[in-house]
Amino acid sequence: MNQIHLIPQSEPIPAPSEIFIFLEQLFFLIHIVIINSILGVSLIIFYKWNKNQDFFDINKPLVKKIPILFALGINMAIPALLFLQVVFGHLFYTSSILMGTFWILIIPFLIIAYYSSYFHYKKFGVSNYAKLSLFLVILMIFYIAFMFVNNLSMMEMPEKWTSYFSNRKGTILLWSVSSIYPRFSHFIVASLAIGGIVYSLYFRKSSEEKLKEGLKIFAYATIIQIATGFWFFLTLPENIMKKFMGEDLFATSVFLFGVLTAFISVFFSLKGKLKLSLIFLILTLVFMIINRYNLRVFHLGESFNVSQLKILPQWDVFAVFLVIFILGVFVILYMLKISVLKSKRG
Amino acid sequence: MNYPVWELYFLNSGTVVAVVAVLHVFVSHFAVGGGIFLWLTDLKSFKEGNIALRNYVRRHIWFFLLITMVFGGVSGVGIWFSIALSNPWATSVLIHNFVFAWAIEWVFFIVEILSLLIYHYKFDVLSDRDRLKIAFIYAVAAWLSLFVINGIITFMLTPGEWLKTGSFWDGFFNPTNLPSLFFRTAICIMFAGLFGFVTAVFEKNQILRQQLLKYCAKWLYVPLPFLFISGFWYFYSIPQNARFTNFILNNQTANAVNVFITASVLVYILALILVFKASQLIQKIAVFVLLLVGLSWIGSFEYMREYARKPYVIYGYMYSSSVLVNDEERINKEGFLKLAKWSTIKEVTEENKLIAGKEIFNLQCLSCHTIKGIKNDIVEKTAGLTYLGILSQLYGQGKILDYMPKFIGNEKEMEALAEFIASLHSKKDDKLAEFKPLKENIIIPPFNPEKNEYVLLVWSTLGEKCITDSDRWFSFLYPGSSFQAILIKRGKKPEILSEGIEIQYVVQKGYENPSKHSDFWKYSEFLTGKKIAENTGLTGKALKGVFDYNKDKKVFYVEGVPVLPYRDDGVFNPYPIFEAKAVDKKTGKILQSTLFVAPVSTELRCFICHGGKPRWNGISGISDETAINILRIHDRNHRTKLLEEALKGKPQMCQKCHEDFIVKSKGIKGHNSFSASMHGWHANYIPWKDERACNFCHPNDAKGNTRCNRDIHAKLGIGCTQCHGKLDEHASSVLLSQEETRTAKLLLRNLKPETPLYEIKPRKPWIQQPDCLNCHVGFQKPEKNVKAFNKWTQDETELYRNRKENSGKIPCTACHSSPHATYPSFNEYGKNRDNIQPMQYQGIPLPISSEMKCEVCHKVKMQGNYHHSNMLRSFRNKKALLQ
Repeated sequence: MNQIHLIPQSEPIPAPSEIFIFLEQLFFLIHIVIINSILGVSLIIFYKWNKNQDFFDINKPLVKKIPILFALGINMAIPALLFLQVVFGHLFYTSSILMGTFWILIIPFLIIAYYSSYFHYKKFGVSNYAKLSLFLVILMIFYIAFMFVNNLSMMEMPEKWTSYFSNRKGTILLWSVSSIYPRFSHFIVASLAIGGIVYSLYFRKSSEEKLKEGLKIFAYATIIQIATGFWFFLTLPENIMKKFMGEDLFATSVFLFGVLTAFISVFFSLKGKLKLSLIFLILTLVFMIINRYNLRVFHLGESFNVSQLKILPQWDVFAVFLVIFILGVFVILYMLKISVLKSKRG
Repeated sequence: MNYPVWELYFLNSGTVVAVVAVLHVFVSHFAVGGGIFLWLTDLKSFKEGNIALRNYVRRHIWFFLLITMVFGGVSGVGIWFSIALSNPWATSVLIHNFVFAWAIEWVFFIVEILSLLIYHYKFDVLSDRDRLKIAFIYAVAAWLSLFVINGIITFMLTPGEWLKTGSFWDGFFNPTNLPSLFFRTAICIMFAGLFGFVTAVFEKNQILRQQLLKYCAKWLYVPLPFLFISGFWYFYSIPQNARFTNFILNNQTANAVNVFITASVLVYILALILVFKASQLIQKIAVFVLLLVGLSWIGSFEYMREYARKPYVIYGYMYSSSVLVNDEERINKEGFLKLAKWSTIKEVTEENKLIAGKEIFNLQCLSCHTIKGIKNDIVEKTAGLTYLGILSQLYGQGKILDYMPKFIGNEKEMEALAEFIASLHSKKDDKLAEFKPLKENIIIPPFNPEKNEYVLLVWSTLGEKCITDSDRWFSFLYPGSSFQAILIKRGKKPEILSEGIEIQYVVQKGYENPSKHSDFWKYSEFLTGKKIAENTGLTGKALKGVFDYNKDKKVFYVEGVPVLPYRDDGVFNPYPIFEAKAVDKKTGKILQSTLFVAPVSTELRCFICHGGKPRWNGISGISDETAINILRIHDRNHRTKLLEEALKGKPQMCQKCHEDFIVKSKGIKGHNSFSASMHGWHANYIPWKDERACNFCHPNDAKGNTRCNRDIHAKLGIGCTQCHGKLDEHASSVLLSQEETRTAKLLLRNLKPETPLYEIKPRKPWIQQPDCLNCHVGFQKPEKNVKAFNKWTQDETELYRNRKENSGKIPCTACHSSPHATYPSFNEYGKNRDNIQPMQYQGIPLPISSEMKCEVCHKVKMQGNYHHSNMLRSFRNKKALLQ
């Protein structure tokens, strides 16, 4: 069966696709950095776990942030998924159904992870189960990440959809697609790197030693991440690989810039320069987000092109959204002002 | 049909959505109401300088955060995930039409999250003023997210003008938006109190605990009047037809309504326990129970709301089977599978029928039905239906009970789906072999035209008296045949005798004990209202007796003779023979004797659709299994308790509720007549409209045990529908006579009579029938292709069985015999079984005096068409006699 025929018909979209693609990528970037931070910090704490009271005293405030980051991470996933569904919804729903059983389990597992992070924080240094709950957080995130990697990859590969005709129970995963493993690893290693830099950032004022330690974790993890990236690159189909090797000038440039800025951030982090590492990290992340999108377009190839989408504009509603969004930002800033600043003064 | 299907047969995706959604709405309403509760309670503590109350707020926030932000937040995403798996297309429509609304909702959500985090983590650090500001921001943001989501949810039930304009604003500010918003806001306030109990009940200080509980109870009680008012407002904002479909016709909604009402009462009563002093343990238990009741309360409400929009997922736009309303016609024409993107089969063949059926099941049924699973199990729902029953169910689906979408696809696809569903049943259909009637010769009684002075004509008023024969369970036709007779004294001017004579009758051997074969006499008290002696009819007449004389009609008659087609020797013959004798009362001399047939059938083939097999020796009658299935389905569809009553030994006569002229029942006002109900209901379901449909219930199947349509018309190929109309025409004619009852309109709505509905003349069952003269205009040979349908007798007196010839002395039936068995008749149980009297008196099986045999009565040939025009002629269709 030709997979092109399997692609569901799409709905008209209420504004040009570029707007939604931009918004999806923007919120995805924020989301993934937060999730990376949760996983990275959790891994570091888990790795460094010891029964010394100092360990608990020093890390308790950092641990406290994990459930808060969960709240924000989940929140930021919503617009990312929403805008993704506007443009790629028909592909995304299909891939979700093909792995429906694993996909829906994300919800209870996320609830477990979220509650575990609260338990962990409340019982940090008090109960032996705290470490177990942290392990649970890590395990659940691994699961969720693996499922997201599968779903987003499957969404981009309609040629894999025919597996449905031999398995309709919603348990299709892309075990046989070699790029899945480096793609998943790319997230895990990224988490370590981001975790390192968050660790460094958090302790930047209180401990020079921890600042350096964090940067070191970031540097080594980023080096591994670059290697993982190449592994990922090598698992891509040849025609796509070629796109990043000069065939598509824009994609090649973004890719090379991304790798370059990553190297630069490693350089600065090894030198102990947090600010510069951070700047180049952000640049790397931006390039990589674009890179990720380019990969999606190449994967989809002729199966789907955003130009196929019909536009039925809702500019008035979009304007209302923008106004409310700006108001929301002001309210948030106002709240932060009265809470963070005043409480600091207090 | 646009997407693949998550093939979960035990726990279908619809159930996953329901579980996630109910849990989520329970918490999310708390999240909104709780925000207002926290702000106002905190404000109260501030104004009163009440530290204890503030501490309560402090503790409550923690509980609130863990429940609403973690569980509420993630389960909200869970609904999104699950609806996209269950109904991706509808999800896509909601996303694409309302993406900016969702985005706005997200803005409120992030404000909610951040304000709650600040409120919780900075509670002790912030100044009272700032803390209250944060609480206020949370409360407003939470309510605003309700405002946005409410617009989208209500859109699904009442898209209003959006269906025409496609405008975001029309969809969002739809007819139920505002009432629902008020209703849900009241729920939020109520839930704030409900969840407030949880923190309050754990307060150790008893006095404070009591104060807090009372305070929370106020939150529960204050919105009560608003709940009532906005609830009714909401309910009456739903379009009337949707209300009727889902709140009157759909029993599942009725269950939800019951749960909703019970839970409402329980919540408010249980809450009182908390207001009065009780031990903390009892209060804790009460709070726990209250939460469970609250969960079932909101669950039943959401269930009602979901069901209110059936058969659509987006009302008027997309069916719950994920088919666009606009595509329906095209799909019915081109085929469903051909257009379904994810089906391996594009066209149904004999070989792939089961797989095709499964594909259709997945695509059209699985989102609501499971297979032997936990909700709406298709096997349980179709239990008691055969393949043909399931096929009929699919054909009729969504027509009367329109909370289910109609089957969408072509005929072969419907058959494939029926076959697939039937294959899931462990019990397979009983196959019934063709019935072979046992032919029995009749010895024609003697008649000597020279010597015999009298002609005795006796006939059954009906061509086939039918009997339900399921008396243990229900009945709509009990035993009781009617016969009429006249005695003619032969002569040039024959005389019809009425005085000084007695006409006796007796049934042939083997038929004397009907009570041996039927349960009618056991249950007669419940069926007829009086206990009837065995082997006796409702009128007191038995299998042997004397005719009465009707002075008005000037005929001898006997009614209620309880003859059955079952013979003591095990032979089934629906044409028992009676002997009749005309006796001179004074002398006791037999003036004339004859034989006549008493056509009586129990061949109602309900089992073809409703399962089971014939009751009497596997030949005829309605078995227990069939009857139970029928009652179960009636109880389910009409909320009766007929099966329960029957199991208690109290079966009911159907006409107790449904008016029926033939059994002299007035029924219950508002119910359709029995005929209108039976024909109207079944016409919506039976996929065939020709005589195959008639023969399911009427005893005329060519392979059946009665074959009642046996006269010259049948022999010439004239079937039921030429006079009575095809099923939809027939049903429409009786439904139109129901004075536009609501149910008659409902039954008529989807019928497609070949004669346009506006041309069909209403007809009262049994009273208005097609007249012979419709075709035989002026008693002449009918025109070619003429039809008797749609021209009815004015009243009962015009019926063939009640009419008389020109002199007004001789009933038409005396010379022509019973309807559907007019001379010459061709009975499959033996030649001339129906033609005994013409054979006896004139030696030919034709109507009395046919072939100008005036001498039968007149002793001599006569001239002039005295009895009716065109009577003095040779019989037209003699060829038929040779076949």
